[in-house]
Order: sequence, then structure tokens, then C-alpha cells
Amino acid sequence: MDSFGYLMNGFAVALTPTNLLLCLVGCFWGTIVGVLPGLGPLAGMALLLPLTFGLDPAGAVIMLAGIFYGAMYGGSTTSILLRVPGEAASIVTCIDGHEMARKGRAGSALTIAAVGSFVGGSLSILGLMVAAPLLAEAMLKVGPAAEAVLMATALLVVAFVSTGPAIKTLAMVLAGLALGTIGLDQLTASPRFMFGSLELIDGMSFVALAIGLFGISELLLSLDERLLQRPKTPTLRELLPTAAEAREAAPAVLRGSGIGFVFGLVPGVSHIVSTFVSYAVEKRLSKHPEEFGKGAVAGLAGPETANNATTGAAMIPLLVLGIPAIPATAILLSAMMVHNVQPGPMLLVERPDVFWGLVASMYIGNAILLLLNLPLVGLFVSLLRTPMGYLAPLVMVVCMIGVFSVKASSFELAVMAVAGIAGYLLRKFRYDVAPLLLAMVIGDRMEVGFRRALTISQGDYAIFTQGAAVQLFLGILALVACLQIGAKLLGYRR
Amino acid sequence: MFASARTFAAVAVAALASLPAAAQPAYPARPITLIVPAPPGGGTDLFGRQLAEIVEAEFKQKLVVENRAGGGGTVGVTQIVAAQPDGYTLGFIWNSPLTTSPHSLNVLYTPDRYAAIMSIGFSSYVLCVQPSFPADTGAQFLAEVKANPGKYTYGNDGVGGTMQLAAERIFAAAGARVRPVPFGGAGETARNFLGGHVDIYGGSLPPILPHVQAGRAKCPLLTSAEGNPSLPGAAGLASLGMGAEETVLWWGLIAPARTPKPVLDRLEAVFSTAARSAKFGEAMASQGASVRVRGSAETSAMIRGELDALGKVAQALGIQRQ
Repeated sequence: MDSFGYLMNGFAVALTPTNLLLCLVGCFWGTIVGVLPGLGPLAGMALLLPLTFGLDPAGAVIMLAGIFYGAMYGGSTTSILLRVPGEAASIVTCIDGHEMARKGRAGSALTIAAVGSFVGGSLSILGLMVAAPLLAEAMLKVGPAAEAVLMATALLVVAFVSTGPAIKTLAMVLAGLALGTIGLDQLTASPRFMFGSLELIDGMSFVALAIGLFGISELLLSLDERLLQRPKTPTLRELLPTAAEAREAAPAVLRGSGIGFVFGLVPGVSHIVSTFVSYAVEKRLSKHPEEFGKGAVAGLAGPETANNATTGAAMIPLLVLGIPAIPATAILLSAMMVHNVQPGPMLLVERPDVFWGLVASMYIGNAILLLLNLPLVGLFVSLLRTPMGYLAPLVMVVCMIGVFSVKASSFELAVMAVAGIAGYLLRKFRYDVAPLLLAMVIGDRMEVGFRRALTISQGDYAIFTQGAAVQLFLGILALVACLQIGAKLLGYRR
Repeated sequence: MFASARTFAAVAVAALASLPAAAQPAYPARPITLIVPAPPGGGTDLFGRQLAEIVEAEFKQKLVVENRAGGGGTVGVTQIVAAQPDGYTLGFIWNSPLTTSPHSLNVLYTPDRYAAIMSIGFSSYVLCVQPSFPADTGAQFLAEVKANPGKYTYGNDGVGGTMQLAAERIFAAAGARVRPVPFGGAGETARNFLGGHVDIYGGSLPPILPHVQAGRAKCPLLTSAEGNPSLPGAAGLASLGMGAEETVLWWGLIAPARTPKPVLDRLEAVFSTAARSAKFGEAMASQGASVRVRGSAETSAMIRGELDALGKVAQALGIQRQ
């Protein structure tokens, strides 16, 4: 049987009434946890994991995967409406998505995010179907040295994301790098800046910091009416994107799909990295880069698409190698193993029903999410009619529940509160907090990759020039650096 | 005062209600919290949840599984030992936070702070190499790494972790020096091993098994005394005369110290039966683990013995308590 025949069989598996219902349940639940700040795909999947023990393996995987990509879909909603990231990967969406909402284009932004997510998600499943084994092999070539070089490149790209002046961005990047060093060092097991507390052993909690710096600071700013212009509630007719907006979004969506898919193969931080790389690319290519940070349509469409395109790619290491590269796919792995389904090189041979059933259900799920989200746009936008006096405390409570749920720790709440106040002050002084968060995540991985590579080579720096993956990434690093320096020298900046 | 009045009322009501029967309500009279100090989705979490499901039917009470991950399990164990010793907060743990972490971390508990109720079984760690590696059997593998001190690298689950100590214990006994490269977990180790970035895979069985079946890896040595049926080519330590150097990953049930003895006995009996059930055996097998039910006394002795042995390895490696 050829791939097409297998896919048809997959649809036969995915379209059974039970599996269709499971897909719907997964997508719906995923949307909910995605919309609620703090709760992400991980929490959503973990909560429903015990339910899957009684299902057949294909159904279990279909439902859990639905939660995963459903949450990625839903994460944009609060980012756009309230500038509170629904989950970690929606940070970049906050920047221009919320600016659009402020201009009264909330409905249009939500629609673009939903359609972009649909296109990105669907294209990435196509990629997964066509090239999974090949890409998995390519991914194995990325060792610690290549990872360090790649992360160094990503750090350079962070500069593009910022809306502030260079010196302030640099300050935020350095602060992020410093925060990233907190916790037990992975290579020597020495504690860094933990002050004897076990709470910080795994480092600063990204979710608590992100919700605090973006969400809580926004709510505090909203008390300061002179500084903050409230989003306008659009009329019903204004819910749809204009022709001009659609024209601007379309190419960004296509580029975002490609970027998201490629970066989905980077272990660990794929969703975060892919969104801001897409943002940086859109800003570079735009004829009006000055609009970025002020509600640029491409600055929303690209990253939001990339976010969802990453999901399909993130499935590849799990399905082809049996090795989850991000925590969400680790939960999928354990759901499969409970049913004695071992993902990996033999999955396609031993359990084609699970593999193709999952692929087919992801196509269906993406369509379900689009149908689920578009009618909700009007409802979500009407949230903005709620007086801030009611909305702000409500969102604050939801944020607190979400952050607390990650580790059931009150320390996380304190981190969120401090980050909220710090974020409020930083933004009052016109510092952009996105580079801080990005640098924190990237810096940690860059450092660990760098030192791990040197452990392997016994201190020989030549390891950073060896291997196809390292050389490819070095080439990209050089290109990005040249572009930056060249732009500076020519006095053409943004 | 209000509280004490209420307590008094509650005691009075309870006393009246139970007058004809025993003086105490039967344990468990309300839902039990089972703290799992690991994130959802791993082996520990799965075994804990599946045991809970079986035990619920016996107790006719809900067992609420709470994941308290962080610090390699030490955060969750700290919470378990600090709980009320009334039998309504239990911990389902793997051995690392009890016997390994205390050597590298300033943890707030010792074996005196908790009661070991029982243990369910174990899973061996395994050492695997590329198919081109010049050794096939366990003895050949140890001879090869011994003949080439410092030449090979092995990936492990983390500095000072149980996997690293398990491997170092064997290397020390064999007089070999292999360079450790710590990763974030067995999945990450497997990826870097398959990509050729480290020479030897060190970790649990499940991530590497499909690749052994696909002919991309061979596994000469286990860290358990016995062999494992899913890896017939891998030698157990006993077959090399090193059975005493066994270090495995095992799981068990603990309660805060001073939990009443009758409660502990009941828990030991019910959980031991659950762990021996066919249904649970399948769950263990699906993760490459073996059932080996041990009672309270045996599990306590195992914890103290392992704590000592790994302490010596950690000291030899220069790992310091932070």
C-alpha cells in the first residue's frame, strides 16, 4: 500500500464515531487550557491522562494530541485581547496582536490568528507525513556543539524582536541571561543563586515570570489610565479582516509555516524560538518595519502560524525515534506505552493504525479548531466590553490559579507577583520585557550546550567547527551577524 | 476556642455514632492523597496512578494523585515527610530522592523522617554502544573500556544522579575510567547517542529498546544483578561476579514517620496485593520494569544499604553536598 492508501486507512480510524468524539473533546479541552493563562498543554494533557488508560491506543493518542495542538491554538486569545500570554509560546503574539486590539481590530486579529493557525497546523502535518524519517535523521546530527551555535544565533535574532532602543534591549538581554543561570547547574550539580532554597533548584519558573512580566504588569498598567489606551470594542462588521490586512497576512502565514516547521525540530524550546524567529523575519522583510510593535498584521500572523506549525514537527522525534523532544510529547509517549505501543523506528510497521490514525485525526482536529474558534471570535471580543474594574481582578485570579497549578507551590505566586511589579516599572520606563524572557530560555540552553560540547571534546574548541550541522549553523550565524552589522554601518536600521 | 468546641462536638458525635462498634472508624474513612514527586507522564507517575486505581477498589475510597515535581523528586519528598502522619498523605516515590539526592543536595529529610511501607519492583539501567563498537558481551565491554582509560564518553541522566552512580560503581569495580557527559534525561541521552555525539548510552531501557530492535544499538551490560528478558544480549552483573554492585531504579510507597502501625500494616497488605496483580504486572512490563514486591522491613533495609553504598561512590567522585 502507498502512503495515500495508508492515509485513507488513517482517516477510517480517525472518523469512527468514538475517535471523532475523542478528537473533539481533546480540541475543546485544549482550547480551554490554552485560553486560560498559566494552564498550558502540559497541564491539560496531564489532567486527562488517566482517562486514556481505558481507551484503545489510537483513541488515547488522538485525544491527547488534540489537547496539545488545541492549546497552541487557544493561547493567542488572551494575548491579543489582554496582552496576557495564554501559554508560553504566545509571548510574541502579545506584541502586535494586542496593539491591533487597541486599534479596534481585535476581531480581525483573532480571525487572522485562527486561520493562520489552521494553515500552519495543516501544512506541518503534511510535512510530518511526507518527510518524517528524513527529518528525524537530520535532527540526530544536532549535538551539543550545534545546539550551542544555534542558540547563539537565536540570541542575536532577539534584537530584532525588541521595540525599544538598542541599549535598553541589551540591558534586558543581560538580565535574562543572568536569570537563566539560577538553579542547579546541570553539568556540575552546583547550586547557583538558590540561597539554600529547594524552590529554585530547577531554575526560575518560565510560566510564572512570563505571566507576571506580561500579564500582571498589563493589569497594573490598566489602572494607570493615562498610560494605557484600552482596546476598542469593534462592531460586528469589524470582526473580519479587511482585504488589505488579508493581503499582508497571507505571505506571513506561508513563511511562518515553514519557519515553524523547521524550528519544531529543535529540541526543548521549539515553540518559543520559532515564534520569535518568524517575527524577526517578518520585520526584516516588511516594507514598513516601523509598524512592528504598533499593530503590524504580519507581526501577528507569522508567529501565530509558526507556533502551530511547530506542533506537527514536534511530533516527528516522538513518532520516528520514540524520543520526545518537548515535555508535551513526553506525555503522549507515556500514553502510548501504557498501551504497549512503542513509538520509534518500528511504529509504522507494527502499528500503522496508531501512526496514520493520529496523522488523519490531526487534519480533522485542525478543521474542528477552526470551526470552533471562528464563531467564538465575536464572543471573546465582547469580553472587552466588560468594565476593567471587573475584568482585571478576574484575569488576575485566573493567572494565579494557572501559575499555582504548575507546581502547586506558593513560591511561584511570589515570583509572579514580583515579576508583575518589575514588569510594570520596566514598562513605565519603556523597557521591552520580551527580550528578557527569550534570553533567559536561550541563554540556559546555549550555556549547557557549550559546556557539554567541551566536556565531550575534553576542552578542545575545534568541536565547534566539526560536523555538517555545526557548519550549517555557523554559516547562518555569520549571515545574521553580517546583516546586523551591515545594517548598522549603512545607517539603515529597521 | 470555636475550633476546640467544634472538635469537641465532632468527637462527641463520633463517639456516640460508634458506640456499638469499634471505638475508631475504619481506615480509610476519607480520600487519601498520594503525592508523586515526579511530573506527569513518566514511569513513576504511571505506576503510581495505576496502583491508585487498583487500591481504590479495595479501599472504596478515592486516592488523589498529586504531582509535586522539582529538584529530582526532593521537593515532593520534603512535602511528604512534612505531612500529617495520619495515613491520609502518602508518597509514591522512586529511589533517587531517598538514596541519591542526599549526597549532592542539602535535603531536609533522613530515613528517620519517613516510614517505608513497601516497594513494588525495579527497572535496570543499561549501557549500550553503537553496533560498530569493538565488544559484544559484558565482559568484552568492560575489558575494552578498561584498556582505554578516558577514551570513551557515556551519557547519563544527570550529575550525581542514580544512573551516574550506578555506572560509576561498576566502572570503579572494574578499574575503568569512562568520561561522563550529563544530559537532562534518558530521552536526551538517547538522541545524542544515536547521533554519535557520545559513545555509550547510559539510561533506562524504554528509550533505547526500539533502536536495539532496529539494529542501531547493542547493549552489553545491565546495572542489575539479574539479566532482563527484553535484552537477552545484555549481561547482568551477577554473571560477571559483580552482583554486589547492583544499582537499579526502584519504586515504593512511603508515609510520614509516626504514622500509626495498624495503618501502615494495612497499607502494606493492600498495596502489596495490588502490585502482585496481573493487571499491574502488565503495566510494569510495558515500561520494561520487573515486579519484585518487598515488605516494609526489607524496603527499609534496602534504603539504608543503598544510601551508604551510593554515599561512598559519590565521595569517590568528589561530589559534595551543597
